[in-house]
Parts: sequence; structure tokens; C-alpha cells
Amino acid sequence: MSFKAADLIYLLPLLVLAVSGMLLVLAEAFYRGKDRAALMGLAVAGAVAAAVSSIVVYRQLAPGEVKPLLSNMLLADRFGYALTALFSVVTALAAMVAPAHQRAHGWVHGEYYGVLLLSAAGMAMLALAGNLVTVFLGIETMSIGVYVLCGLRRRSRRGNEAAMKYFLMGAFATGFLLYGIALIYGAAGTMAFAGIEDGKAFTLAERLVDSPNRGLVVAGILLLVVAFGFKLAAVPFHMWAPDAYEGAPTPVTAFMAAAVKAAATAAAIRVFAYGMGGDILAYGNFGWASPMVVIAAVTITLGNIAAIRQDNIKRVLAYSSISHGGVILVGLAALGLGSGTAQTSLMYYLIAYSLTTMGAFAVVAYVGSRDNERLHIDDWAGLAARHPAAALAMTVCLLSLGGMPPTGGFFAKFYVFKSAMEAHDQQLLWLVIIGVVNSAISIYYYLRIVTAMYFRDSKGAFEPSRSAPLAFVMAVCPLIILEMGVMPGFWLKLGL
Amino acid sequence: MRTSLVRLVTGLAVVAIALVAALSLTGGVAAAQPAERAPGAAPAPTAQPGTAPRGTAPRIQIVDGAAKPAAAPAAGTPAPRIEDPRARDVINSNGPAMAVLFWIFALGMIGGAIFVITRRNMIAAVMGMVGTFFAVAGLYMMLYASFLAVIQMLVYAGAIMVLFVFVIMILNRPEDEPWGLVGLPGKILAGIALAYLTFRLGSLLASVKAPADALLAPPPVVVPPGAPTDAPTLYDWGSTAGVGWNLFNEYLFPFEAVSILLLVAVVGAIAIARPLKADDDDAAEGDAAAGEAS
Amino acid sequence: MNSVVTHIGYGHFLVLSAILFAIGVVGVLIRRNALIVMMSIELMLNAANIAIITFARMHGDVGGHSFALVVIAVAAAEVAVGLAILVAVFRGRRHIDVDRMTTLKY
Repeated sequence: MSFKAADLIYLLPLLVLAVSGMLLVLAEAFYRGKDRAALMGLAVAGAVAAAVSSIVVYRQLAPGEVKPLLSNMLLADRFGYALTALFSVVTALAAMVAPAHQRAHGWVHGEYYGVLLLSAAGMAMLALAGNLVTVFLGIETMSIGVYVLCGLRRRSRRGNEAAMKYFLMGAFATGFLLYGIALIYGAAGTMAFAGIEDGKAFTLAERLVDSPNRGLVVAGILLLVVAFGFKLAAVPFHMWAPDAYEGAPTPVTAFMAAAVKAAATAAAIRVFAYGMGGDILAYGNFGWASPMVVIAAVTITLGNIAAIRQDNIKRVLAYSSISHGGVILVGLAALGLGSGTAQTSLMYYLIAYSLTTMGAFAVVAYVGSRDNERLHIDDWAGLAARHPAAALAMTVCLLSLGGMPPTGGFFAKFYVFKSAMEAHDQQLLWLVIIGVVNSAISIYYYLRIVTAMYFRDSKGAFEPSRSAPLAFVMAVCPLIILEMGVMPGFWLKLGL
Repeated sequence: MRTSLVRLVTGLAVVAIALVAALSLTGGVAAAQPAERAPGAAPAPTAQPGTAPRGTAPRIQIVDGAAKPAAAPAAGTPAPRIEDPRARDVINSNGPAMAVLFWIFALGMIGGAIFVITRRNMIAAVMGMVGTFFAVAGLYMMLYASFLAVIQMLVYAGAIMVLFVFVIMILNRPEDEPWGLVGLPGKILAGIALAYLTFRLGSLLASVKAPADALLAPPPVVVPPGAPTDAPTLYDWGSTAGVGWNLFNEYLFPFEAVSILLLVAVVGAIAIARPLKADDDDAAEGDAAAGEAS
Repeated sequence: MNSVVTHIGYGHFLVLSAILFAIGVVGVLIRRNALIVMMSIELMLNAANIAIITFARMHGDVGGHSFALVVIAVAAAEVAVGLAILVAVFRGRRHIDVDRMTTLKY
């Protein structure tokens, strides 16, 4: 095996996340202060350092250059490092949301920060994965971290229940993922997406196409689609998501909705587009795109319809995130069906979606106070009169989630649907129509929250959980979303 | 509880008796061994690291310079019977002994698994699980995964199941109703669908096409020599040394990355399961002291 | 005797793993006790491990063994966290019946 010290630079973001996570775990053990704000500072510093180092490595690589590392376990390319930077930034934001919420709701646990960064290291593995083994490990590191984060608010029965449900569903999905990997391995004889064996270059896709056991390939792909359906909360496999999102502490929900979903998407892109790309595996006899198209259509529609019926803001956002998962699947299907712009569109979509969700949940964390989380929509009545800035931030985020023009959310959906139109033979046209119709429907429930904030009178005084880092998150997310909406050019070049 | 233990012991005894009977019937596993060895050719030193071509080399020859007496007799018995079609079998049996063993392990595994999902008593379920794990370890042995077989027993049967037993001790209450019978029609439908899918998957897997040389004994793991003049070292396929060499070369990254995962699990499990203090805000202070003490 | 019985091929091991996987799925779906559900998930992971090791033998790739080892480590970590969550849930409500965990519904 060839391992050069110079290759270590490509591992830098991953190492920074892991090492700062370990430092945080140590710091928590020896920390004596009452609140954990200093730990938050260390966590943010670590995550920002990881983001900076991924940008540095990103700039080292030429567009389109893919470097396999460590016996094809990792693929270093611009796509991976852009995503790593995104995950690190979202992790930093999730760390900044936490202290105010922890103080307000009495779950001051310093483990939050350590586990957060270690689970972000798992996400970085997913973004850089070049092997089904790395995908499996990354998904597990991330998921186990998030199960822990869900259950950290130990006095809350809802928190425990959310952790339990999320854990059982996630572990169940892991079983499917692993069996799918096993079958793919059986068909191909390798788990690396590409590599060199006996002096000959090979790719997983070629091996699968040439495999004498085509049945294994089909079954393996189906199992993988099911597993990623669970992780992305796509509709037949979404039942855990609303409960887990509602019961988890709000900063954790923000992290789950923003980063975990984006990381699962990254893994799906790596597995399906990099590992099993090409015409034959995406459609035709094998076809991972076909089940994905169906799941996407159902997910967008049912997610929206269920969101309309909700009164709890966290559940509304949960169902909205399910519906957004459907749009992500549209992008994935387009990627499989030969659309040239799908990957950059998905990248843009992930950035816009993650920051929007993070902003929205930050406002949710801000509005609640001790013994009164204010999760019902009626509790938000009159927010604009008392706290206009928070209401404005929430409005921008909701408009972006609904895909309204001046925001990043608009271009995100626009570009994904546009790339779906470019798919082979325009066979995704019907899906695009469903998506656009659903975007229109979704405006209803987003505007319902906006109306409550602006046009109804408040029932009592708000006692928001104030803190400078939280205010920073609430300010910076909408600003970036607006910037993405006004000047999308820069962000569209990142996915190459 | 007692009855299930009695049943378990009886079951183990039956398995042991069947094992002994099967072994004596055919002269034992040892007699079946020579068939798996290729014609006693000298190790063909391919400089390529990884695994040598199948059937070209004896399975274990050079072990770290220091002469191991155990390896000598193995090298001394050449085995010309590789061309015998009966020897071309995945578990390399040329008699019914291995087949009998396979069926014993298969039955033990399935029986244990069914035991797990049907028992009302959780300890009984755990015992079924242990049985399953032992049977799975036996199957690993048949697939030449001797290192993993041992790990399977140590980690699964030894550690994970003990963890389960501890938690059962903490919970210490029987299940009210073992079966979730709400929505029975849906579950019957799901059962039919699952049975169908399993049948399809099973028939798919039953007819799996293996590469032409897959029925020969697995090739040794070839480790390139430190100095160019030395011969490469050959390790048994699936032995500790063979798996270890692979683990620290090809699987170096997963091996290191799994440590992050274990750290998350350890920290997280303690953070969640630690006893509650009077108030979580107070608990934060107590935690710092506890961290110092440990 | 029938050669399917006496000559054990790769198909035997793989079918066995499929059956074990199906039993695990059934256990997850029908049992209400969270502990048994977790054990059923372990059965599923073991089934996948058997398949991986069979395929490793079939392709003569010892890498499959390393992966199986990683899977065992992951399973152990998952069990540790899962049991911790289970203990926390039990502390709050004195039962671990997944069908009765309905605080989070609409």
C-alpha cells in the first residue's frame, strides 16, 4: 500500500474535526465552570478550522480532479471538500445555537459539543467516501452520534422517546444498508468505487455490469435504495422523522435536519453516482433511478400534505424537510438519468437547504423559554410586533423553504428541476410538474406561520432565550440565503 | 428461566453428541483436511502483495522465520486429490462429515434465531441469541474465517450478550404482551410480502454463480518481504496474520476511523445512561467532579 | 444421497443468511419489547456478515474479513448506545414497549 505523508493534507479536515471532537470530550471531563460556553467556543473554533482547511484543500485540487486515497477508501475531489466545508459550517452553527437552549431548558451537557464534532467527522467521511466500507462507517459514526444527541436531554420523556425511535429505525436501516453492501460486494468482488487491481484499473460500475450475478446487483441496489430512503426520510420510510425531530432538543433537530440530511444525500451521491453510475446501472435492466423517481414523487406530495395538517412548528418543519428530501431524490434521479448539471444543482440545493433549515430552527430555539417551548403555531402569534428581527429572519427562512424568488431556496428548487428537465428523453417532466405544484402547495403552510407572526395579536409576553451566538446564527443564515438568491453564480460552481 | 436453561443444556449436549458421531463416522475433519491442499508445489512467489492465485501454493509455509514445529507436518503431506470432483466443494469435504456439521450449525442458527423472536422471557431470548452466535461462528470456520469465528464468539457471544443480560437485570420485568397484534391484517399482508421477498432473495442467492476457481482452497495471503532477496511470507487465508495484514494495509482507514465511532459510542452511552441528579443544572456541576474522580 | 444435502455450496450459506435476515426483519416488525427488537437487528447484521464472509471466500478476497471485523465493532458500538437509550427510556416510564411510546403524536 502506498501511503505518503503528503497525502495527509487531504485528510486534514477530517483530522481537525476528529481531534477537536476528542479534545472537547477531554475538556468536558475536566471542565469546572457551570455553563459550557467555553466548550462552545472550542467547538466553533474546531469546526471553523475544519471548514478553512477544507477550503484550502479544495483550492489545491483542480476542477474535476479525483484523487483516490488510502487504498481507494477515500476520494479527494472538489465536490467532497465543498461538502465537508458545508458540514463544518453547519456544525459550528449548531454548536452556537446550543448554549442558550441548554440554559433555558436545563440540559447543560458538555458532551453535546464533543459528540457533535465527532459526528461531523463521520459526515466528512461520507463526503469523501470512495468505498462502500467508508460509506457504512461514515453513516454509522454520524448516526450513532446523532442518536446520542437526541437522547441528551435526559429528563425529557419526549427526548428519550425520540432517541429510542430514531435509534431503532436507524439501526433497522443499517441492517438493510449492510445487506445491500454485502450483495453488491458479492456481485462485484470489491467495495471500492474505483481502483487498480493486478495492474488493471477497474470501477465498481464496470464490475457490476460484467458480473455474472445480475440478480445480486438488482437486489443489492434495491436494499441500498431502501436504506438511503430511511436515512433521507423518504416517504414509505419516513415515520421516524417527525417524532425524532419533534422530541429532540431544538439545536439537535436543527443539526439533524440540516447536516444529517445533507450528509445522507452526499453519501447517496457517492454511492449511486460515483459507485454505480453509468447508463446501465441507473436505468435499463438494473435501474436505481426508477425506484428513486417513484419514491421522490410520493415523498414530495405526502410530505407536503402531512405538513398542512400540523400545528406544531417543529413537526411542520419536519414534514417540510421530508418533502425537501423528495426534491433531493429528484436531483439524484436526474443525476442517474444523465443530466449534466444535476450535481452542481444538488450542491447548491444542499447549501441553501441546510442554511435555511438551520436558520429556521435557530429562531425556534430563540422563541422558546423555560417550561414554554412555544412550539404551537398559535404561540407564535404577534411575534413580529415584539421581536421584529426574529420574525423577519424566520420569514426569510420560510420563504426560502417555500422556494420564493429573492431567496436561495428559489434557485435551489429551480436548478434541481431544471437539471431534471435535462434528463434523458425528458422522462422526468412529470416529476418536475409534481414538484412545482407541490412547491405552490407548500407556500400555504409556510405562510400560515408568517401570518401568525405578523397579523395576529400575541397572547402573552415573549421571553426569548437570548444569547449572542444564537443571534449571530439567526442573522447570518438569512443573509447568506439572500446572498445566494441574489447572486447564485459563485455557489453554483462549487459542485464540480 | 430454569426450564429454558435446562433446554439449552440439553440442546448443547445433543449438538455435541451429533458432532462426535459425525466426526467418528468419517474419520473426522482431519481426514478431510488433505484434500484442500494443492499439489505440493513450492510456493510460487508472486511479488504482488495481496493474495496469490488459488491452488498454486501450500496454505501455510513460512511463518515469520522462527520455525514453528506445527507447520512442518502440514507441509509434509502432499495432497494430490485436488482433481477429485468431490473435493471441489466450498467447505472442502470429501465426505458427509462437513455436510452434517453444516446442517447442524444451520439448524442451530435458525432455531436460535426463531427462539429469539418468539420467547416471552428475555433471558431465554438471549440464550437463543448466544446459540445463534455460536452456530454462526461455526459457519465462519467452514468458510475459512477462523479469526472472525473467534472474534464472533468473543465479541458477540462474550461481550454484547453480556451487555444485554446486564440491561435485562436492570429492567427486571417480563413483557406484558410479546406480540404486537395491533393491525393484524396489515401484519399478515406484510408477512406475505416478506415471505415472498425472502423467497425471491433466497432463490437468487441459491443460484449464485461463483468464479471458476472458487471451490478450491483459498489462496494464502502473500506479504511482500522486507528485503528484496527474501521470499515473501505466506499466511493462511483468514488466519489472524492474514486478516491483520489486510487490516493494516488495505483497511487502514476504516480501522482508524472505527476508533472515532467507538469514542462516540462510549462517551454517548455514558452521557445518556448515567444516573440522574436532583436537577440537570446541578448535575452539570456534579459531572465535573465525577469526571475528575475517574 | 441428494447432492444438495451432501455437497455444500455457496448457495447454502447465502440462503442461510437470507433466512436469518428475514427472521431479524420479522422480529423487528412483530415484537414490541425494544430489547428484543435490538436483538433482532443484531440478527440482521449477523446475516449480512455471513453473506460478506461467504462472498469473501467466493472471491478469494481477504478484505471481506476486515470489513466483517469493522461491522462487528460497529454493531458493538450501536448496541452500547442503544442499551443506554433503552435504560434512559425505562427510567422515565418504567416500560420499554415500543407500541406504548406515543407521547410524540400530533
